[in-house]
Amino acid sequence: MLDVRFPAGPPVPVDDLLDQVTAGGRLSVGDERIRDFLSAFGRRLLRPTLSRRHPELGSLGFFLRRSELQRTIEGLRGEHVRVPRGLVFHIPPANVDTIFVYSWALSALVGNRNVVRLSPRAGTVAATIVKTLQETLDDADPIVAATQRIVCYDRSESITATLSTACDLRVIWGGDRTVDEVRKHPLPPYARDLAFPDRSSFAAVRATAWLCAPQATRQTVTEGFVNDSYWFDQAACSSPRTVYWVGSRADCHAARADFTTHLSHTVTERGWAVDAAMAVEKRVSTYGLAADGSAGAIDFHGNALANVTLATAVAAPRRWLGTGTFAHARLDSLTELVPLVGRRDQTMTHFGFPRAELLELARALAGRGVDRMVPFGDALSFHRVWDGVDLASEFTRLVTVSA
Amino acid sequence: MTVFTRSAAEREAALLPELAALTERHRRACEPYRRILDAIGSAAPYARVADLPWLPVRLFKTHELRSVPEEQVFKVLTSSGTTGQVPSRIYLDRQAAATQPRMLAATLRAVLGERRLPMLIVDSRSVVRDPTLSARGAGVLGMMNLGRDHTFALDERGVLNHEAVKGFLARHGGKPYLIFAFTFMAWLHLRELGMDLSQGVLVHSGGWKKLAAQSVDSAEYRRQLGEECGLRRIHNFYGMVEQIGTVFLEGPDGGGLYCPDFADVVIRDPDTWQEAPPGVPGLIEVVSTLPTSYPGHVLLTEDLGVVHGVDDGIWPGKRFSVLGRLPRAEARGCSDTHGLAAA
Repeated sequence: MLDVRFPAGPPVPVDDLLDQVTAGGRLSVGDERIRDFLSAFGRRLLRPTLSRRHPELGSLGFFLRRSELQRTIEGLRGEHVRVPRGLVFHIPPANVDTIFVYSWALSALVGNRNVVRLSPRAGTVAATIVKTLQETLDDADPIVAATQRIVCYDRSESITATLSTACDLRVIWGGDRTVDEVRKHPLPPYARDLAFPDRSSFAAVRATAWLCAPQATRQTVTEGFVNDSYWFDQAACSSPRTVYWVGSRADCHAARADFTTHLSHTVTERGWAVDAAMAVEKRVSTYGLAADGSAGAIDFHGNALANVTLATAVAAPRRWLGTGTFAHARLDSLTELVPLVGRRDQTMTHFGFPRAELLELARALAGRGVDRMVPFGDALSFHRVWDGVDLASEFTRLVTVSA
Repeated sequence: MTVFTRSAAEREAALLPELAALTERHRRACEPYRRILDAIGSAAPYARVADLPWLPVRLFKTHELRSVPEEQVFKVLTSSGTTGQVPSRIYLDRQAAATQPRMLAATLRAVLGERRLPMLIVDSRSVVRDPTLSARGAGVLGMMNLGRDHTFALDERGVLNHEAVKGFLARHGGKPYLIFAFTFMAWLHLRELGMDLSQGVLVHSGGWKKLAAQSVDSAEYRRQLGEECGLRRIHNFYGMVEQIGTVFLEGPDGGGLYCPDFADVVIRDPDTWQEAPPGVPGLIEVVSTLPTSYPGHVLLTEDLGVVHGVDDGIWPGKRFSVLGRLPRAEARGCSDTHGLAAA
């Protein structure tokens, strides 16, 4: 049996759930009934009472604006006919409460029936989201309730297996181990997986640009960096872990020192603090880097900020080192990043590089890694193109028609 | 001859040069340790024991840290601890391997006396027979050196063996004998025995987590075991494989744990990392002169503790308690690398 969280209802056996969803009417790509529902849901999320308490719900509400939904649908227009894939089974991560909504909303928007497996360990934000979805349902077309399900079940191989054999697309968020676990369950021959495994991210700053920037800009950029990093305890796959300073030794030294002053100040002012367990975690990880020879120097600015000066840029750690732990390395030019980047690298947050230089880097990387380049402060903003995948497009199929 | 003689000032004066010398010795002999000290900018001279650079104890799980060449490693101790599956690896050369049981015996002599006592072990014999020796088994085995006529109070299924205990008491019950147990095991089984254990000296260790859940603290533990079993001599101790041979021992009056002369504790405020004054809880740093073959002489544990007083107890030096374990740091974020697999 699985708990049905949305639309709220009694627990049902998995087979009954599948029967219900399959029976529930047909949707089209960009179906108006779904658009109405999503934008009404988004408006509720933007109510100040909610978005003030949970800013991530504000971002989500913004993402679900009618105009944004329209843009997404328009982006799918082309020579061929877009059709929904069918039944999509979503397995979001337990620890980022909003991911499942982005994934589900885009899939529903393009006309799929969806079953979302919400982790039993999902947090209060997830509960708020489900409650808000339920409230929105009152004014929605019945087809929404008939075709969409958010369910919850504890580790059950058999339920995951049954849902896998029934779906046309399986979307797995949440790391290498989850992906490996879920992939043990076969899909129908025509179905496919869309997997989002462990990723890590870095930042790049041109030292001279930093040094020449007005004080107000440096402050704003630092605040953006703090949001990028501290919001999900620096464990979000798009939060920067290493900062590459690009420029001469002297410039990089001066820029990094000034950045550290701003960062330390901003972290303190914003009240980002870490507890004793996290403070110890950071000592273990940074001392470990030193023991390995990867870290040449470690300096702590209170417990909330630790800087590691890498012995060489090649030693950039990809794993999580504890909230507020940044590895730093210097490069002479942005193109030196090319051999350093790997498949695991996802987001590059940047400051001080013209668009042309970033485009050149993206081409030079030629798929080695890095799926997104965004300015400081935008690391956590969800985009319908994620991890190199245009989600709305992936959630559909194309019918070619020649006459 | 007891090893609980040094006042705080005497201890500081005696330990500082020894520990500082150990720091330099490990710095020279252990490359990863030297790199850590370089990275954090720690250099002699050190004015106080509390100024010496500490290592987080978990590094012995993640790294191979030894100060003797591989061919001189005589024994590798491992312990899984409670949180992870990765064990600590502690490298002992012949000399360190010989010193640690000797110093453990010297420490416990303060409460057991000069002669080996008959020993009742509140556990199953199987814990020391298991080829993949558990931390519990290793603890029992280490203590067995200190006693004779070892009797296991539990059968192979972990059930109380009344006959074995009765036999032991018939042979030895008239004179002092040693009872060794993990803290919770003693609580669980000794009261159930319903026998007079008034000549016994209970030495126990292993943590208070399960007892804290039942709202049993040290005072209540001593009171009930005294009332129900006649136990008057009860000594908790605190120690870890990463500082093998060093144990912090509860005094006869139960007023806290005391440090043997070759060791000390520093309670650190986890915000400032400065030494916390008596009465203020913090993370426990343990220092000991025993770790000569690996850089474990100054370790920051993940246990919380508090110093109750200095030179004011039944033995000299710091008097402290262990308050519990720091929870493991957890992060939000989208990967499952912190043990959060779905499916």
